[in-house]
Amino acid sequence: MDKLLRINMGADGGPKASEVPVGNYAGMGGRALTSAVVANEVPPTCHPLGEDNKLVIAPGMLSGTTAAMSGRLSIGCKSPLTGGIKEANAGGQPAQVLARLGYAAIILEGKPKDDTLYKIFINKDGVKITPDNSLKMLPNYDLVAKMKAEYGDKMTCLSIGPAGEMKLGAASIACTDMEQRPTRHAGRGGVGAVMGAKGVKAIILDDTGKTMRAPKDPEKFKEATKIWVKGLQAHPVTGQGLPAYGTNVLTNVLNEAGGYPTYNFKEGRFSGAAKISGEAQAELETSRGGLATHGCHRGCVIRCSGTFNDKDGHYLTKQPEYETVWAHGGNCGIDDLDVIAQLDFLDDNYGLDTIEMGATIGVAMEAGLIKFGDGQGAIKLIKEVGQGTPLGRILGSGAAVTGKVFGVERVPVVKGQAMPAYDPRAVQGIGVTYATTTQGADHTAGYAVATNILNVGGQVDPLKPEGQIELSRNLQIATAAIDSTGMCLFIAFAIMDQPETFQALLDIINAFYGLSLTADDVTALGKSVLKNEREFNFKAGFTKEQDRLPDFFKKELLAPHNVTFKVKDEDLDQVFNW
Amino acid sequence: MEKILSLTLKPDSLKTLSRFFQQGVLIKTLVGGSIQDLLIRDLGLTPEYLETRIQTIFLNGKAVDDPARAIVRDGATLALSGAMPGLVGATFRRGGTYASLRQAITLTATEEPVSEREGQVILKLFNLLVPEIGPLVLAKGFWITGKELDTFVENYPGNFWAPWAPVQVAGKDVDVQALGKTIWSPNKEETVLIKITLRPNPSL
Repeated sequence: MDKLLRINMGADGGPKASEVPVGNYAGMGGRALTSAVVANEVPPTCHPLGEDNKLVIAPGMLSGTTAAMSGRLSIGCKSPLTGGIKEANAGGQPAQVLARLGYAAIILEGKPKDDTLYKIFINKDGVKITPDNSLKMLPNYDLVAKMKAEYGDKMTCLSIGPAGEMKLGAASIACTDMEQRPTRHAGRGGVGAVMGAKGVKAIILDDTGKTMRAPKDPEKFKEATKIWVKGLQAHPVTGQGLPAYGTNVLTNVLNEAGGYPTYNFKEGRFSGAAKISGEAQAELETSRGGLATHGCHRGCVIRCSGTFNDKDGHYLTKQPEYETVWAHGGNCGIDDLDVIAQLDFLDDNYGLDTIEMGATIGVAMEAGLIKFGDGQGAIKLIKEVGQGTPLGRILGSGAAVTGKVFGVERVPVVKGQAMPAYDPRAVQGIGVTYATTTQGADHTAGYAVATNILNVGGQVDPLKPEGQIELSRNLQIATAAIDSTGMCLFIAFAIMDQPETFQALLDIINAFYGLSLTADDVTALGKSVLKNEREFNFKAGFTKEQDRLPDFFKKELLAPHNVTFKVKDEDLDQVFNW
Repeated sequence: MEKILSLTLKPDSLKTLSRFFQQGVLIKTLVGGSIQDLLIRDLGLTPEYLETRIQTIFLNGKAVDDPARAIVRDGATLALSGAMPGLVGATFRRGGTYASLRQAITLTATEEPVSEREGQVILKLFNLLVPEIGPLVLAKGFWITGKELDTFVENYPGNFWAPWAPVQVAGKDVDVQALGKTIWSPNKEETVLIKITLRPNPSL
């Protein structure tokens, strides 16, 4: 990973690729790299769909190695949805393959002079960029089948569906999984629209002939990875809960807490929760011959995913994650897992962010387009997006735009991005992160529950109110650091509870790069990422007034606990005051 | 005299019964003591199990940090969960580092125990705790209305029921499909105690 692949899509005579040394970006990976490139090279006030924006696709520092859980991919740009900096993160195979091909990042620059659509093939022999207008408006599953037929069953694919080609704000970039299905998505912030604006339909990767990346100290690396895997498998979350029920195991707990946003954030409990819970989903999947335990990329030992078959036992989609089940389920009053699975498939196929689309359908229901609980109506609306009808394009532009068009006041967004599946009135500390993160409302921006072991910001008394601000800050720092390693965020639980597992992670990085990083260095890395992102957003016109939740969270009581969001604005302004 | 419905089911039926536990089963127990009392003394869990496996507790929807001090009153809903992933999992963990993130819905009252008496509690079990605590609850018995049992029989006909072990009401064999008529007719709102033994087919 000592080179960057820069592809100028607007070059005279057609797109031109050039390999360049990583230069000042040496040693960076994942989010650290995408955010550094965007902050350094993209004019903050540029149009997100214009030639000056760049799409940066970067594997993590440990991707392409034998270290378990290292297959996360970061995709960065200026977001068409938020207008600020964006890092969208995905699993699947591309991070591992791209890293083994030796690239620290692919950077798509410029913009084609016409509406020609391109595919980019990268293997050990180099890069081939080919115009292919036959791919226009192909949904992801059809596209990947075509690429597989053309490039073989060793290929890995990044692609956009019709939503990306239409440059919609909710457009995602699909990454193929181990079965070459386009099921893992860099979903948030409209990164698919930026790829569409660059005229790139698909990036096909093949690492045949390449080997695993070699560590500087193979013995220490091997020893550390053994301890690492043992630690992950021993922990009840990473070794039992996630493999058995997937992320949807959270449904019952959030619902019981009264923090499960229901009917477009109107209530905190959904009466149909038990029908769509992780427990119910796992039972349904296995009873139909699907899988309740499955990894999204090679080298995953947690295996929180699965496969969802239809009533006849045929593959329908991957196991919908908690956020998807909530967004299309409880948030829309839908308690039918088959309907939710169909919506998940449609989102993946058209290339849409499931959180954004679920929130958008919720807003559309609030506006009266269809009724809450109308599963078939929701399917029809998502199909409108895929077909590119005028209504579909409005919906595909996300919850904020849909709310404006239909005059809805209760629109759960921050910086234009839809809020995930935790009501900030019940879990107020997550509201602090939703409000202040550089990314727009994003639960994963403060997800790395390892601040205690990293000792980020010192020890915080968990039972003091001011802890919410401090913890959100520390979580955001820790998350930015982990996002840079290529490690899945679910590792955080094991490293929080098991010091030896955290040490193993440090040892893996150190043995691989020949470094002697400490927890302090990891913290410094996280801070530097956030600093880059904050500066970019500031120059793009963001002020502290954008670090706020929508008014209704402060005014409307959330049942059953009848609480409002109480964190003061002046406290929110202290989150990045370190 | 209370009516008792005794069932023997195959061990893997526990998965099917999971929804019952997720929605909550009615148990009759001593109320007025702490959650810890209820779980250890009345339900028979060990202190170590409570400490290590039950990571998240809700009493009437409020997150509990100290099960020894939270008092279970008559009519309460008690929900128990194993370790949960993600930030929210860590946030709801009892006494965890991230507890302040959910302080708006944390149970803060530190009431003294009141005099204990027989009462009712809705017990909910989630995720890993269903296979671990579920059999215990099934064997001790929980209360169910006729309406709930009708839905249950409707949803799980055929091979869910263990053919080698007859369903018994007050010690007498009855037909599964006729359960509703046997016990509840005409009052479907009335509750009866249901006790379930999980046992593989002895002839296999």
